[in-house]
Amino acid sequence: MNISVYKWFARATVILTCLFLLTGCWNSKELDELGIAVATGIDKNDDGDYVVVVQVINPSEIATDAPTNRPPVSTYSITGKTIFEAFKKLSAKSPRKIYFSQMRLVVLGEKLTQEGIMPTLDFLYRDHEYRASFYVTVARDAPVDKLLSIVTPYEKIPANKIMNSIDNVQLNWGVTKGITIDKLIADIRSPGISPVLAGIYIIGNEDEGNNMSNVENVDAPTKLEIDHLVAFKDDKSVGWLNEEQSQGLNYATGDVKSTIVTHPCDDKGTLTVEILRTTSGIKANTKNSNPSATISIEAEGNVAEVDCEVDLGAPDAIHKINKEVEKQIEDLVQSTIKVSQEEFESDILGIGGAFHRDEPKYWKSVEGDWDQQYKNVEISVDAKVKVRRKGNSTQPIDKKG
Amino acid sequence: MENQTISPRQFMFIVILFTIGSSILIVPTPMAALAKQDAWLSVILSVMAGLLLVFLYNKIGESAKGKTFIQASTYAFGAWFGRLFSVFYLIFIYILAALVLRNIGDFMTTQIIPETPLQFTHILFLLVVIAGAYLGVQVIGRSAEIFIPWLILLLLFMVLSITPQISIDNLKPVLGNGILPVVKTSNIVIGTPFLEMVTLLMIFPYVKESKKTSHAWLLGALMGGGVLLLITLLCLLVLGPDLTALNAYPTYKVGEKINIAGFLEGLEIIIAIIWMITIFFKLIVLYYASSVGIAQFLKLKDHRPLLLPLGMGMVVLSIIAYPDVAYFETFVGETWMSYALTHGLILPLILWAGLAIKNKKSNNT
Repeated sequence: MNISVYKWFARATVILTCLFLLTGCWNSKELDELGIAVATGIDKNDDGDYVVVVQVINPSEIATDAPTNRPPVSTYSITGKTIFEAFKKLSAKSPRKIYFSQMRLVVLGEKLTQEGIMPTLDFLYRDHEYRASFYVTVARDAPVDKLLSIVTPYEKIPANKIMNSIDNVQLNWGVTKGITIDKLIADIRSPGISPVLAGIYIIGNEDEGNNMSNVENVDAPTKLEIDHLVAFKDDKSVGWLNEEQSQGLNYATGDVKSTIVTHPCDDKGTLTVEILRTTSGIKANTKNSNPSATISIEAEGNVAEVDCEVDLGAPDAIHKINKEVEKQIEDLVQSTIKVSQEEFESDILGIGGAFHRDEPKYWKSVEGDWDQQYKNVEISVDAKVKVRRKGNSTQPIDKKG
Repeated sequence: MENQTISPRQFMFIVILFTIGSSILIVPTPMAALAKQDAWLSVILSVMAGLLLVFLYNKIGESAKGKTFIQASTYAFGAWFGRLFSVFYLIFIYILAALVLRNIGDFMTTQIIPETPLQFTHILFLLVVIAGAYLGVQVIGRSAEIFIPWLILLLLFMVLSITPQISIDNLKPVLGNGILPVVKTSNIVIGTPFLEMVTLLMIFPYVKESKKTSHAWLLGALMGGGVLLLITLLCLLVLGPDLTALNAYPTYKVGEKINIAGFLEGLEIIIAIIWMITIFFKLIVLYYASSVGIAQFLKLKDHRPLLLPLGMGMVVLSIIAYPDVAYFETFVGETWMSYALTHGLILPLILWAGLAIKNKKSNNT
């Protein structure tokens, strides 16, 4: 009898202890005590202090069937000697502790990118609360606090809008790239490649965009748009690529999923090919003692839009289109190579990485001053395009019939 | 004192879990820092060297004829010198256990619960370990059998879901810096876990069908080594050598990269579960070995009364063992290898020689 009471008591103690130990955390925080940050903007002001802008979602506006006229997100802007100091000072402005694990986007100011971004990245990569899955972008010609305060139409959370837009542009047009922080850090640290980042800019009046009235128009007067890529050398920005150069870069690194190539026809009008998939590879060699590299690109596509007279039934015509598109792509990539070698002097295409892989001995001798060596590397581009199909119509649809 | 036994199969599972144990957590970073993209080749080298070590341990286990390391050393060297000999071995295991405990504590406080004081993580983790050691080797063997399928499933899931992010270019150029860094780096995995396997000589006698034991040990070490190779390869292929060396816990970062169709994200906790399971078994083996060893050293009939006091000591030791992470990294890089070599190779060799002489003598008479 006594033994069974003892056993019962022991079991109850174990269960109760487990109840207390397993159900709670040391410092549990409920969802309603947290402000969920979706975007962070970081820049420097003229005094050299960091300016940190945090975009926090308003859960009552996001998860409700009856939204009020309050904005779906709020932004807080703070300055501090270090980034972490600024974040800690956030508590003076925000009613809740800011929680960063759901962050989608980091926007860096242009002043910061010119001075060097490594200290910022160190913080973002070191702190345990950040997942490495957010995109790092650069605000073009706009202060980050203004940029993160724009209310966007269609997508309630501006950070999501930007991230989705970057993905969309990358998938369907190929002039930008979503760069995550670990890729960025790896590229900066590697001597064989220099990083690029996507740019964002504001269309319209930046002071009106932060008002809810902005999205009450069918065509919102102030919008956020994804810009082309900005090139870096080490951790400092050295200049913006234009549309062709951005696309050329994506062709060279094999990041073009789908895009269009338009070229003029023989007499008049244009013919457009939709590229559906591309792959690329870079081969480096040091034959004849002068270093050279070949970028080979393979692309597959369809005829998408025909605005000229061409006999699409003839195999020759398709062959000719292939050649034309190949030349277009080669020109795009060459324009990127030119600007990176002559203007930026920064190996954004990752040619050095190819030398590291293919010619490790040569690479060892030039690794130290690759930026200088890179200018003299002869880079050729070899594109192979296969236009497979021509859509629903067998021939151009013209008036003659 | 113990008449519990485990099957060779269970022993093999324990060896696998022991091999993966804390190595999966702390090995990829220094390997990638030293051998760069060839770190995986170093793992292969170390596994080969590790198998030789296991071969040696097996020989010792067989010539000890059903005695644990402690019993065998008193048998071979007599009560006094044998005890002195055992003291070194016991201290080695005990310190190792404290370090392993600190590994999991450091990981938890860095990545998951940064505001929880270290000692509470240690105490809670150790409580479960003590419960396991209290129940004995049979229960440890059975629970290893239960957890192995989960480990395999989680590993498979992780490998399959991360394959889209793999880039073979990260491994090139193979042997770009020559073979020397690869050979030098291989000592990391030899030190953790293979030299630490000398601990398993405390469990060796409890395996029934002793003929199959050595086979199970070799196979377990090979499979555990295979998992270490796989993990190192994944880190290199997904993160590249530079980020692997830069991250304190690169495998965890690999888990963060898992992204299946945009909705299955944030699966890094899978990695944490793998670590918890494997480190738990490594710690429980070390803890059991040190408590049984001390009991045999003191000629106690039962090791159980020792469990709680040893645990209290271990929580304190794990906190004071090193003041900060940088100290630990230097310790692992510079001191551990020679420390482990003394206790994992030289002590066993002496014991082996002693046993051989003693066995020969008793055969003659």
